[in-house]
Amino acid sequence: MKKKWLLHILFLLTLLIPGHALSLQVRVSDHEDYSRFVLQGDREFDYELTEGKNTLQILVKKKADVDDNTVIPRDSRLFQDIACKIEKKSTIFTIRLKSPFRIDKHVVLVQPFRVVLDLVAGEESPAEKREETDIPAPVIPNLKTDIQGLDPDKSGKKTVFDTICLDPGHGGSDLGAVGSGKTFEKDITLKVAQKLRRYIEAKLGLRVVLARDSDADIPLDSRVAVANNQEAQIFISIHVNSSSRKSANGPETYFVSLKATDQDAFNLAQQENQSLDEIEKIAAEDELKMILWNMAQAEYIRESSKLAEFIQAELNDLLNTSNRGVKQAPFRVLMRAAMPAVLIEIAFLSNPAEEKKLKDESFLDDVAASIYQGISRFIVFQSNLQNK
Amino acid sequence: MSKKILYPLLALALVFFITSLAVFIQSSRSAKKEIAPSVDTQPGEEFKASSFIKFKVFFFGESQGLMKPVVYEIERPRLKEELYSRLLDIMLRGDKNFISPVPEGVKVRSLYFVAEENLLVLDFGDELTARFGGGTTAEMEFVYFIVDNLCFNFKEIKKVKFLVMGNPIKTLGGHLDLESPFYPDFSYFDEQ
Repeated sequence: MKKKWLLHILFLLTLLIPGHALSLQVRVSDHEDYSRFVLQGDREFDYELTEGKNTLQILVKKKADVDDNTVIPRDSRLFQDIACKIEKKSTIFTIRLKSPFRIDKHVVLVQPFRVVLDLVAGEESPAEKREETDIPAPVIPNLKTDIQGLDPDKSGKKTVFDTICLDPGHGGSDLGAVGSGKTFEKDITLKVAQKLRRYIEAKLGLRVVLARDSDADIPLDSRVAVANNQEAQIFISIHVNSSSRKSANGPETYFVSLKATDQDAFNLAQQENQSLDEIEKIAAEDELKMILWNMAQAEYIRESSKLAEFIQAELNDLLNTSNRGVKQAPFRVLMRAAMPAVLIEIAFLSNPAEEKKLKDESFLDDVAASIYQGISRFIVFQSNLQNK
Repeated sequence: MSKKILYPLLALALVFFITSLAVFIQSSRSAKKEIAPSVDTQPGEEFKASSFIKFKVFFFGESQGLMKPVVYEIERPRLKEELYSRLLDIMLRGDKNFISPVPEGVKVRSLYFVAEENLLVLDFGDELTARFGGGTTAEMEFVYFIVDNLCFNFKEIKKVKFLVMGNPIKTLGGHLDLESPFYPDFSYFDEQ
């Protein structure tokens, strides 16, 4: 009886103890076309941005513990220094930049909660920048709400998901895999991407950008540049597989592997049983491991893994291949994607039975519908996380 | 028979006997095929004695996409680097009981080991890119067949970089990033 009372008292005491302070961590990195500032919290926080000519101030509306291990890359193109002021009810970060700048991208990611700002030198507006690119900026249609749980943003703020980039693998002189019945991978990937575009536009009302919309030679690095320049929130590279083993079959969905690109960081993280975020921290602390920062995808690994999981589950349902899982590999086309990005291998052209299926338009329709379902589930999942 | 003829004959017979004995001892040693660990000599150093060495080469079987081991035994070359080439010869030649992920006629033009980085650099001929049939799985099978076998048999090799005609390549068939060296992924091995 006494024990029961003690437990009640302990429970009440725990309710009285205030939660631990918000813990914040800053990461900065230089990339090919932009410099990235990431402010990560151990939980969600409110913040305000104030832009000056050469300064950017981030006011976090809470007193926080700040990890002071921030490393500014030597000879950073844009970052001069970062100052942090902790007040009674707020924490203020002042980023001094070497030149005038603009915020090219501003996204909030969850699990863990983090604010990602991609900054570029110069004061040119994104609209002006788009005019210079080869691809015209399409009109963004209004977001429809025919997916359960996905509500349009009522605050008038930019909706989290508005653009998806689809990359039909290969093209032009690059045939990709070739089946024994002379089926070319490049033709199938384009057909599936076009079908998928129709699904996404009609059912989700999102803007779809194709990295290629005809039988053209497009370099790998340009494909992901399209996605980055168009500020897509999802990148899907569509491929058809092939193997020296004739019996190899089934769909596969990949996301980028850190393992093959920075083994030292990966091994260290494994030894110490650390998370992906901690791997990134290790990389930031060691100049030799800066390679991770050259991979824009590093920030989105967790989301990419989730996206791959949803798409693979739908493809498994379609093709009755429940035992196939999501895989990781260092894909060049995914590494520089500054958004959740996956590569899908629909089926094996080297397998005669699967080649036959891949020639069937209705099968390709089903594949596009399955990928669309996977993307929808991911959007709902992410939207729910961000609305929590 | 006079002593003048007998003594030279006896001396000749003795020399013949000693030589035969030496040859016999040497051949019986070879017949035992002494197996030494593959990493007792550093690259660049000469092996001290003639001996045989075993390689465990993993090849892809038809099912499951995993590699199964086959043991090969070869005479040790003078230099460690030659040993890398011998293993690559076996791998590129393939095994009739298994599937080769290497396109036909692919050759390694040269190779070099960067000791301070534990890196083996392989320079392939352009037939590798010309004859590669495409497909992510085919690409991964090729890369890990080469990297896993080299890293498994030579523990000083921790990573492998691929060149074609002396130049780095972005990808083989439009998928994996080959500009960075590759580390082994032994999950492709069915058993070790």
